[in-house]
Order: sequence, then structure tokens, then C-alpha cells
Amino acid sequence: MSFAIELKSITKRFGSFVANEDVNLAVERGKIHAIIGENGAGKTTLMNVLFGLLQPDEGEIWIDGEKKVLPNPAAAIAAGIGMVHQHFKLVPSLTVAENVFLGMEIRKGGLIDHAAQIRKTAELSKQFGLQVDPTERVGLLSVGIEQRIEILKVLARGARTIILDEPTAVLTPQESRELFQTLRGFVAQGMTVIFISHHLEEVMEVSDTVSVLRHGKNVASRPTAELSKSDLVQLMVGRLVSFDRLPRGPIAGKTVLEVEDLWCRDERQLQALKGVSFQVRAGEIVGIAGVAGNGQTELAEVLSGLRPSSHGRIKLAGRDITGRSAREIRAAGVGHVPGDRLVRGVDRNASIALNLLMGRQDQSPWSRHGIIDRTYLQQQTKALIERFDIRARSPESTAKSLSGGNIQKVVLAREFTGGADCLLIDQPTRGVDIGAQESIHAEIMRQRAAGKAILVISVQLDELIALADRILVMFGGTIMGEIAGDRVDEEEIGMLMAGVVPDPHSQTVDTV
Amino acid sequence: MEVLERLLNVTLVIATIRTTAPILLVALGGSFTTKAGIFNIGLEGQMLVGAFFAVIGTIASGSPWIGVLCGVAAALTLALIFALLVVTFKANEVVVGLALNILAGGMTVSLMKAIFGTRGSIFGHGLVGLPPLKLPNVKDLGWFGQMISGYTPLVYLAFILVPVLILFYNRARLGLYIRVVGEKPEAAEALGISITRIRYTASLLCGLLAGLAGAHLSLGYTTMFTENMSSGRGFMAVAILIFSNGDPLKILLGCLLFGFSDALSLRLQTLGISSYLVLAVPYLVALIALFALSYRSRPRVIQETLASMGRALSVKSNTIKPRTATDASKP
Repeated sequence: MSFAIELKSITKRFGSFVANEDVNLAVERGKIHAIIGENGAGKTTLMNVLFGLLQPDEGEIWIDGEKKVLPNPAAAIAAGIGMVHQHFKLVPSLTVAENVFLGMEIRKGGLIDHAAQIRKTAELSKQFGLQVDPTERVGLLSVGIEQRIEILKVLARGARTIILDEPTAVLTPQESRELFQTLRGFVAQGMTVIFISHHLEEVMEVSDTVSVLRHGKNVASRPTAELSKSDLVQLMVGRLVSFDRLPRGPIAGKTVLEVEDLWCRDERQLQALKGVSFQVRAGEIVGIAGVAGNGQTELAEVLSGLRPSSHGRIKLAGRDITGRSAREIRAAGVGHVPGDRLVRGVDRNASIALNLLMGRQDQSPWSRHGIIDRTYLQQQTKALIERFDIRARSPESTAKSLSGGNIQKVVLAREFTGGADCLLIDQPTRGVDIGAQESIHAEIMRQRAAGKAILVISVQLDELIALADRILVMFGGTIMGEIAGDRVDEEEIGMLMAGVVPDPHSQTVDTV
Repeated sequence: MEVLERLLNVTLVIATIRTTAPILLVALGGSFTTKAGIFNIGLEGQMLVGAFFAVIGTIASGSPWIGVLCGVAAALTLALIFALLVVTFKANEVVVGLALNILAGGMTVSLMKAIFGTRGSIFGHGLVGLPPLKLPNVKDLGWFGQMISGYTPLVYLAFILVPVLILFYNRARLGLYIRVVGEKPEAAEALGISITRIRYTASLLCGLLAGLAGAHLSLGYTTMFTENMSSGRGFMAVAILIFSNGDPLKILLGCLLFGFSDALSLRLQTLGISSYLVLAVPYLVALIALFALSYRSRPRVIQETLASMGRALSVKSNTIKPRTATDASKP
């Protein structure tokens, strides 16, 4: 059997940390090979080694049966390997064709031949079924199309093996499905696809072979057909994890958070929210679903007082808090777990203790007469580190020395213990590994049981299904529809996420 | 009406072209750094040393062309120091730019004192300017011919550079890379385009044109060097660059506006209006134009002010009539 790619005993260390340990990976030609694993399992490191971005400390790389040394990405590209990164690197003011041929411009008489570039882009787009308009400016296009352009870039460079790093993280379910079709088209034309993901369902759906990485080691490489979803989870985490709907009691209380016809603008002065209304009751978890960038973040910011609303009303337990400052809103009883924890969640350079203190440094018993009670702070920090299972060397470790999941736990520990009746949680488990996800979810459920009104914003549907009593789907700044958490139809949510109102068999859909 | 006729005629157009050229040259230079994502406030200083060393070179060699070369070399040296500090050592662009401007101002004054023993200005000493270029066959074109002929060569260069730069940014690989480095450095990096090399190139191209602009000031626009003779043109160019985003055509429009008001102010002087007042005209016009343009293209500040005022009002209305809200929530 001929392999497109063979990695033999690859080991990559960063200082004392071993990112990849003795990894063997054989990728068959003409197959879609998925690589899954938790965050920090070494998937991206391994692919960076294969793409020449990192040099392995030990081991060999064989491409098409030949041993290769790849000192840089250019060498990998020359060997027929292309990589579509998680973060797109497109230039917004240039056209699609200019972006595709950037760095390898077609020139005539010393000048860039735009006509030829447009023609070639159209040809590639047709040959591989990646629909784009070569003359359009990239800045105006959606994420899904941007990804197509990134793939076209790779194809234009003559790649026969394409590595995609978490390609579906930014796509709607429909866009993901289109992508999968494209990928199947690639392998039908004899190309090879390596697909990094931690979405099990996708892996099951699209791949021929799966390799599971755990703690830098390849723990299994098997045909996908031989594995079930729970097998994969077990291989990834090393134990069983449930992502099913979490058990819960009935919703207890009365309305805590009331949002009425809320409007606001984003940084570019475009309408980010267009008349959003909903309520959250005590002891209820309301989920906000949607593809990132449809107003969810702005919603959380407006509710927490970080962004002005242009119209509408926010009431907390009947009290109008519209237009109040973030500080007043916190004091009124709203806890906010921001979507970008490194920017708004923590001070990266401050210790865990100080991060846990922030926002209540002027309140008794944390401080007295304007002086922080160090002893109390230390006690509380220790208690919170234990309760929230924050893995850190000491309470004085800086936030940036922690892993993403542990930073998130610091934020949760602060926000959940501030006595807030209403919790806004934006992306509770973004970039957090499955083990930590489980404990974060359990903590959110405990807050629900304690009678908190909880708004969870997430781009991960399975998370909302696990947590939410009701799911509101946002698209283009409006709420497209509402779905009960125990009667979720992924197809329906997917349609709503893409801005399509499905057949009115669900009675609560309202349009604006 | 008579006053208007005395003000607006072919000679005013000619004067406008003359006054536009130096600022156009330096602003086009700045377009390289602007496009490459460097905020280059050091244009003024590069222009000044260009003007000074063009004069020194001309006096020393007797040829204004060698003078131009000397001016360009001096501006390039300053541009190289700028690039070294900003690109390689990642120093703050504004601080470095300002420091080099101050250095240029002080250096020219003290060198003038050291070499010529005077302060103020240098003329004579065998200083010759660049010869004006008489275009052939323009007599047949009447007033139009009169309008386009007889400038010093760098004036023509400045205006020819506008379409050249448009072509450069759209069709030349280097121009494309400069834009990419300025707009999305990580994309350039991922494609193996060296950001450092491109930014150095842009800085030096900028120095080249700033040097030419300076040489034009002292050998074309006038035939002398005076203390601080760039008189804020470099800063004006920076202002034009900010609103034009480095686009050559918009730079041309901005520079023409400045050149026109400059020419007009010279005209107004002949009408016996206070010269101090009149000399402020071009800067005033430029400021008003900039404000008007940024008001239109970047209304954020204004919009935010309006939005917050609206919010304050709507909050007030909430507190005035809370009853309707409670009524509404009671079905």
C-alpha cells in the first residue's frame, strides 16, 4: 500500500514539555484522515512539523514514499503539502484572485496580470467545486467563503495533500456540510486530506480513518467505520464523558432578566443588535446559539454595561438597568463571564488571587477601610482554587501561566461567587478540554439549582443542548427563533443559524 | 468682480502647480510608508536635510544635479536611521519621527553656522537652481501651453509620479507586497514575504522622494536655503496621508488644495492684506478640509456623542414614566 504521508517516531519537545512523543502516523493516499484529540493533545504541533513550521527533535517524515526534510513551509509546499490554518490569513482589500495568487503572482512584462489570475482562479474554483467570484473583495465575504479562498490558495500551489486545522470551528452546519462534500470531491480526484478536529460527529461523518492523539501520543489509528462516538471519546479522554443533556429539576422562579427590544451598534457602527427581546427566569438556563459574529458578543456586552445600547430596555428583577455602567450593573447583581477571557476576563499578568479579588476589592469582607484583607483573600483563594479545581502551582501564579481551561475556571470562580442573581456566560468552554468542560458544565448546573438566572452564549450546539432549558438562535442581530432544550432538532437550529426560518412546525418562531 | 479676476487666472493655476509640487513629492514619498503600515511623522526632517544638502552639494560642485543627489543621499540616510529604529528595533514611530525632525532642524542650523558663519539663509556662493524645462511646441497651445511649460524638472516628476504610483500599487509586485504588509502583516509572513525587508524598502523609497522634495524646495521652488524652509509641509503631508490612506489620487487632490490655498495667499498679499493673516490661509484651509473630510468618512466620534446624548435622554424618559412599562408587562 502506498502512503501519501508517513510520520515515523516523531518527537517534538518545547523545553521540558513534550508536545509529541514517538508519534507514528501513516496517511493513505486518496483518503480523508481525521486527527482528533483534546486541546493540547499535540494535534497542531504535529501538523506544524509536517508543514515545516516546526522541526522535529526526533523522527522522520516520508512523503510519497520518499524521506524528506522540511526546513520551512516552502519546502512542504514544494513537496505537495498545503495547510489551511485555523485563522485565515487573507488581505481584506484585495480581490479573491489577488489573494489566491499572493506570493506567486502571474506577471506579464513585469506587471501583475490580473486577467490571467482571475481566469486561473475561476478554473480552479470550477475544477474543485469551490464556488467563488474571483473579482470580489475579500473584506466583503463571509467566513465560509474566506475558507474556500484559503483552500484555493493551497490548491493553486499544487498541493496534493491538504491539511485542515479545525476547519468547521467557524462554519454553520450547512457550510460544514458543503465543506465535507468538497473534501470528498478532493479525494475522488486522488488527493489526500488530513482533517484536524475535536468535533466527534464531523469526524464520524466525513473521515475514512481516524488517529487519536492523547498527551502527545498517537493512541489509535483505525478506520472510522470500526469506531463509535463513545469509543472515540474514551480514546481521547481516556475515560467516559457524557455530552448528553444534563439532568435537572423544574424551573423555579420568576423573571429575573428582562430584555425588551434591544438595539446596538458594533465598532464599525453597523447594527449589531436589532430589536432583541427575551426573558430569563430564576433557576433557568437560556442558551443563545448562532454562528460567531451574529450579535451574541454584543448582546453580552450590552447586558453587562460594556457597550451602549441605542434603543430598548434591560430590567433586572423589575429594575431598569439600561444605560448603567458596568460597575452599577455588577452591583445590581449581574455576573459576566466574557467571551474573550484574556482580554476582559482576567489580567494576564496578575496572580490568581488578585484576579479572584477584582471587582470586589472595595467590598467587605474583602477589604476594610480601603485596605485589602490579605488573610481573607488568601483563605478565599485557596477555597476557590479547591472548589473550582483550578490547576495551578500556587495562588500567586500569574493568570497567563495557566492553561485556557484553568483561566476560565478562575473567571467562573470569581463571577459565580459574587452573589449575582443573573449570570451572563459567553462561551463557557471555548478552548477548554473535555475534562474541564465537564466540570464547568457541572458548576453551571449547580448555579441553576441555586436559583440563578443564567444566559449561556455558545457557538457549540452540543454544549447548549447539554445545558439550556431554552435555546434562542441569533442571526444578523435578531433572534430567529426559540427551541426547547429537550426537543432540539439540529437541522432546525442549523437553518435558523443560517438565517432561514424553517417550516412553522415549531410554534415559537418569530420574525422581525 | 474685479478683485476675483485679479485673483483667479492662468497665473494662479501656474502658481498652484508650483506650490503643489513640493508637498506632492513628499506626500507621495509618505504614501510608501503609510501603505506599508508605518506612521512616518519624520517627513518634515527628511525634506529639510534634503533641501540643505542639495544646496551644499550644488555650491561644492557647481552642478544643481549633483546637489539633488546630495540632498537625496542625506534624506535617505535619515530614512535609513528611521527604518533601523522603527523596523529593526521596534521603537515608537512617532517618537523616532519627532526626534529625527528635531535633529534635522538643529543640524541644518548648526551646519549653516559652521560652514557659512551665518544664520537665517544661504544664497549666492555660486548657488544655481535647476533649469526650468521648456516643453517644445507649446506655443501652439496658447494659454494651456503657458500653463504646462517652464517648470523645473522636479515639478513634472511630482505630477508624473501620481499615475506611476497608481500603477505601482495595483500592478507591481512590490507595490502589492507593500500594501499587504501594511494591511495584514500576518498574511505576508505566512507567504514568506519578509515584512522587515518590505518596510525598509518603503522607508527608503519615502526618503528618496522626501529628499527630492527638499531639493526641489531649495533648487527649484527657490534658489536658496533658509532655516526651517520646509515650514510644516512635511506635517501637512502627514495630515494628507492620514485622510488619503496613502492613495496617490487622493494625495494629489489634497496637495492641490493645499497648493491652491498657498498660491491664493501669495496673491492676497499683493492686495495689501496683512501678510501674517494671509500666510495662515493654506494651513487654515487644509485644517478645515481635513476636518470636513474626517467628519464625513469617520463620523464615529460625532455619532458616539449623539448616541450617548440619545441614551441620556432615553434613560430620562424611562424614569419619568415607569408606569407604562409595568402596565405593559401585566397582560
